[in-house]
Amino acid sequence: MKEMISVSPVTRIEGHLGVKVETDGGRVTSAQVVGEMFRGFEQILRGRDPLDAQQITQRICGVCPVEHGIASISAQDAAYGVTPPDNGRVVRNLIQAANFITSHLTHFYLLSGLDFVDLTQVTTYTGRDPALVRLRDWAKSQLASATANPVGPFLPQFTAQLIRDPALNIGVIKHYLDAIEIRQVGHKLGAVFAGKMPHAATLVPGGVTDQVTAIKIAQFRALLGRLRTFVVESYLPDVVAVAAAFPDYFGIGRGCGNFLSYGVFPEASGMGARFLPAGVILADGPGLQPLNVEGITEDVRYSWFSSATGRKPAQGETTPDPNKTGAYSWLKAPRYDGQVVEVGALARLLVAYHDGSRPAVRTAVDDLLKAIGREPKDLISMLGRHAARALEARLLVDRCAEWIEQLVPDQPAFTDFTIPESGAGIGLTEAARGALGHWIEIRGRKISNYQCVVPTTWNCSPRDDRGRPGAMETALIGTPVADPKQPIEVARVIRSFDPCLACAVH
Amino acid sequence: MDAMTRRSFLSLSIRLTAVMGLGAKAIPAMAESLAQMARGGAPALWLQGQSCSGCSISLLNSDPIGPDQLLTQYLSLAFHQTLSGATGEMAVQVVDRTIAQGGYFLIVEGAVPAAMPRACFFGEEAFADQLARAARKATAVLCVGSCATSGGIPAAQNNPTGAIGVPAFLAQQGIGTPRISIPGCPAHPDWVVGTIAHVLKFGLPPLDELGQPQAFFKRTIHEQCPRFPDYERENFASTFGAEGCLFKLGCAGPITKADCTLRQWNGGTNDCIRAGAPCIGCARDGFAAQADFPFHTKTGPAQSEARS
Repeated sequence: MKEMISVSPVTRIEGHLGVKVETDGGRVTSAQVVGEMFRGFEQILRGRDPLDAQQITQRICGVCPVEHGIASISAQDAAYGVTPPDNGRVVRNLIQAANFITSHLTHFYLLSGLDFVDLTQVTTYTGRDPALVRLRDWAKSQLASATANPVGPFLPQFTAQLIRDPALNIGVIKHYLDAIEIRQVGHKLGAVFAGKMPHAATLVPGGVTDQVTAIKIAQFRALLGRLRTFVVESYLPDVVAVAAAFPDYFGIGRGCGNFLSYGVFPEASGMGARFLPAGVILADGPGLQPLNVEGITEDVRYSWFSSATGRKPAQGETTPDPNKTGAYSWLKAPRYDGQVVEVGALARLLVAYHDGSRPAVRTAVDDLLKAIGREPKDLISMLGRHAARALEARLLVDRCAEWIEQLVPDQPAFTDFTIPESGAGIGLTEAARGALGHWIEIRGRKISNYQCVVPTTWNCSPRDDRGRPGAMETALIGTPVADPKQPIEVARVIRSFDPCLACAVH
Repeated sequence: MDAMTRRSFLSLSIRLTAVMGLGAKAIPAMAESLAQMARGGAPALWLQGQSCSGCSISLLNSDPIGPDQLLTQYLSLAFHQTLSGATGEMAVQVVDRTIAQGGYFLIVEGAVPAAMPRACFFGEEAFADQLARAARKATAVLCVGSCATSGGIPAAQNNPTGAIGVPAFLAQQGIGTPRISIPGCPAHPDWVVGTIAHVLKFGLPPLDELGQPQAFFKRTIHEQCPRFPDYERENFASTFGAEGCLFKLGCAGPITKADCTLRQWNGGTNDCIRAGAPCIGCARDGFAAQADFPFHTKTGPAQSEARS
């Protein structure tokens, strides 16, 4: 029997997203992913001073502002021909890594947690943990009150198919509460060199404005220690335990099997050596391929834009047409060599895994797979995306501990530059959610064109000009739906991509 | 109330009463106000328009009252798009039930696409319609962040959606619900928590002509700047990363009223000017509005030398 199910709005993601799926015999047969909010950043940027770009584009997204800042200043570094000193490069890595780690653990607990835990069970808690006792007493008093939405904003939640083991359930709820506090530590870690979070103040072409001092290095070490403890002792073990509780989800939400990473965290100046490398893996291709930036285009046949379709980002345009016939989303449809690709922590991890020069990543992945009794192919799934984020957080807390020791106190973190009369640059990096590119063009020392191709633009894209569904639309196909009134399976697959819609449309 | 919670009430109420200019006598009342919030005395509904969620993320950085307490105990927050358990139709029902009951604080983050309603939807409803519906039944509207207070970047020059701030939208619609504006990109969590506490215990705080609490937005950043002595000595930074006053790099401190340099961000970790970044005026009315008013005046070493 065929059925249409609408999940709109999708909450516990960033921004305005709606998803419509069609099921037949209790499985999804097709999906439409709809970006519901548009601001027009690319038009707003035209005619402005190029140095406005790193501040304006950070405001595309309050969850991943740092990454937009890094993409923008990397594009400007290229356009101005300036290379940051090592201190500047390392400080940028530290700020960006702090945001990755914060973003990943926020996503698992605050955004995805309620897809797994049964919050109502806290009312029967008999232990003595002060935070859980407070939560229990508050929840009980709310449920006994006349309020229209007791235990808001956490309840109501879908009640189907939640964790059955009471100890695991209460353990994850406890870590949910811990995560609310620990994500502050992650933001403080970033703010040591970023000035403030969200929306980092110090990112500029040529490096950063902040100075590297012994005090700041010591501050960073102390905060990193707290973050590392949580990632190692709570986050990664919880992901493994949740995976064990929902083994089916290694086979659900598998998707297109094509992966792309721009690479991130330069270990030296230039594109060459990045801690997580660039590359492309196509399901029916010959394995890991080098990235070819010229292969990137954006279709708009099904997007609410009247501008030309199939353009490369450097020639891209963004002209809205909210009444366009046949269109159903504010997202464009980026493609790589014409292919649908998935981006994100899983893509980065798979690219690094297949890149022979990253033994640390390979060992970490193999250890995790051994611990959960899985094969590399199982990672291409709803649970694999969660596992990849947790593993990346683990790799990054360790790498940050090494980067912080590379800083040289009282040495410059900024190289001066001149903005040319005209020029162009591309800034390719990774946000927590995947491959992020900014394309800047300058004429008369003003921005003449600016285009952003953003992680969730890749993952949540609508159909392309040839009618092929986007990465999430593809991943949803085959998802079982036991109860159309509580399509929790669909919600889980959607959230496994960690969608960020403010980013995707901008 | 455990000792830990009482200490954080007192600690925050001392800071809030001081900064809001209420004097020491108001400290117990402010602490009581926070305690009232803790009992769920502040039913609230949080809606997002053309936003980046940065003000929500910033509120999660609330300190010293931890965000776990803020979320589970201080505010009786019926719905928040980024945190709510409910999704899809269930989420629409939660919002509708809350509006039907009325009497809540409506907290709005983000601008309103006044000329292009299709540019922001919640479920099957245009955000503009949802906002008008919710604002009519609210006790007060709290506009959080520069997008909500004055349109912010979505309303900047050349924007295609005709974005405006929430007060302008409510005026257009003839909706007279009392409103408070807390600018900032993002808004500082203390500004939001402090304002709500004040409203609960003392009613509307003294507001300026823009509807902003004077306690936070009365004096310019320039007057409260750690680099002010450099300004007086005419010791100006010539480029990024240099010592000295950032005025000649375009610092908007002299035209931006906010207390960031005193309060600092992320629990006192740092702030823009201390970190060498010129203020971009994110709490200023008209932030980012003009394409011909750049954040920075730096054009590079060649031009700086030519100028001097």
